[in-house]
Amino acid sequence: MSIHRTDWLGALVVLAALALVPAILGSTYVTGIMTVALCFAMWAASWDFMSGLTGRENFGHSLFIGAGAYTAGFLNVNFGASPWWSLAASPLVAVAFSLVIGFPTLRLRGPYFALAMLSGAAVMQSLTIIFSEYTGGQDGLNGLFPFFDSELAQYYLTLFFLAATVATLRLVANSPWGTILRAIRGDEASCQAAGINVTFYKIASLMISAAFAGLGGALYAHYQLQVGPDLFAIILSINIIIMVYVGGMGSIYGPVGGAILLILLTEALRAFSEYRLWVYTLILMLILFFLPQGLVAPLWRRLRTIVQ
Amino acid sequence: MSALLAVDGLNKRFGGLQAVKDVSFALEAGSITGMLGPNGAGKTTLFNLLTGFIAADTGKVEFDGGPLLGLAPYRIVNRGLARTFQLTRPFLGMSVLENVEVACFAPRVRHEGHARARARAMLEHVGLAPKAASLVDVLPYGDLRRLEIARALATRPKLLLLDEPFAGLGTSEIQPLADLIRELHRKEGLTILIIEHKLRELMQLAHEVIAMDFGEVVATGVPAEIVRHPRVVEAYIGKAEIGESGGALGAA
Repeated sequence: MSIHRTDWLGALVVLAALALVPAILGSTYVTGIMTVALCFAMWAASWDFMSGLTGRENFGHSLFIGAGAYTAGFLNVNFGASPWWSLAASPLVAVAFSLVIGFPTLRLRGPYFALAMLSGAAVMQSLTIIFSEYTGGQDGLNGLFPFFDSELAQYYLTLFFLAATVATLRLVANSPWGTILRAIRGDEASCQAAGINVTFYKIASLMISAAFAGLGGALYAHYQLQVGPDLFAIILSINIIIMVYVGGMGSIYGPVGGAILLILLTEALRAFSEYRLWVYTLILMLILFFLPQGLVAPLWRRLRTIVQ
Repeated sequence: MSALLAVDGLNKRFGGLQAVKDVSFALEAGSITGMLGPNGAGKTTLFNLLTGFIAADTGKVEFDGGPLLGLAPYRIVNRGLARTFQLTRPFLGMSVLENVEVACFAPRVRHEGHARARARAMLEHVGLAPKAASLVDVLPYGDLRRLEIARALATRPKLLLLDEPFAGLGTSEIQPLADLIRELHRKEGLTILIIEHKLRELMQLAHEVIAMDFGEVVATGVPAEIVRHPRVVEAYIGKAEIGESGGALGAA
């Protein structure tokens, strides 16, 4: 069996498992956790597409998530638009933010892009507090409509968009486009000497990354029925990067596994009550120390050779 | 025959240092030209100016019927002027084949057949085909040099700038690479400008030599003349390379 076929087979098995588990368990609690996990998976995969492939670290992915979520909130709460409009509007707004940050900073070498993303998210978080009469301040915007009344239907919608996201990003990453992005990671000057417009590819891949992060933001907002300043928080961006590392950077599917794994781990550790963060951090440190390439993607690569 | 590249009054200053000073020269289409000069003479800076990696202060560069200065590096490559780097700069973490494939995606050559097949042909050309699947990270230095050339060739240049292609190579690796350069010139009519410290190889390859010192062109001529030129002897031979270049002078 070819590598390509084995990958498809693996994807189908995982997709089937994700589709069946909440339906079989029939617990709204589990379905809810899984819906959140799938949103994080979308954010981790979209982070990985730009930063994992090109090596230009984005320390403010929450900028795109918050932009998408607040777009959904404004449209739905303030203008009474149907939640379905968010699915188009949120990615667009996130892409607009990616242009504002990416256009001036991705032409430059050095840490400007990473710093601009970090501060961009921080500035937006402060703005939600400053303009609290429109944004609801710390309380955020409340009373968003869900896509469906059924938890399970919401879950399947999120799963559908996650599958579409991963399929799209993998397709692009396996095309010439992906080869060029990995070459940018290798050496930008050489890439230019090979006749490649490096700036274009970096900005375009950030736009793609932002679009899917914004889409995930909209799905999250219409599931939680509330958006708040925490969606712009730096800790959210950092958590996403940790998920990518645990999953295996540059593979797209790895971060999906990393996100689901860590969200489920957080829930499983509730038994430790106040020691939860200690245990969680210890586990993370062990993973990152002993498995610098991550857990999920290397595991799948090994499994794949066994299957073949 | 008309000039493929015409450089006119090119200047570049870094703070108090005039790295390139009023440099003018022309390259005939189909020629191999050598560029000689001690370390710090401004040769690599000149390459960086021609390929757009550094912006020139003043001057004019005409290439293939159009100006070059002010264009981004990737645009210059797509006009048909490719380069290699003095220190090889492969795309680490990728295979040898993928390294060349990237250059096949350049707009200039994107529509010339299947990228992977073209990349493979380029590797065959420089004798790297058996190593197509290996990771560049483990490639020996001599092969990295060939890879640089393959990557540059993949953009189908009219003019190829080689920055010290023999640097760091052992004697056994130099001759095959020199043969490759000569063959590229003979078979494809490629115009080549080559910076090299190793006089012997340069003198055998080049039809004409441009000698630089302190950012200026101090002499231009056929190799045999250049090595006897007083300014060249003073600037170049007077320094560290007495032993080696003394031999080369005797051979020339």
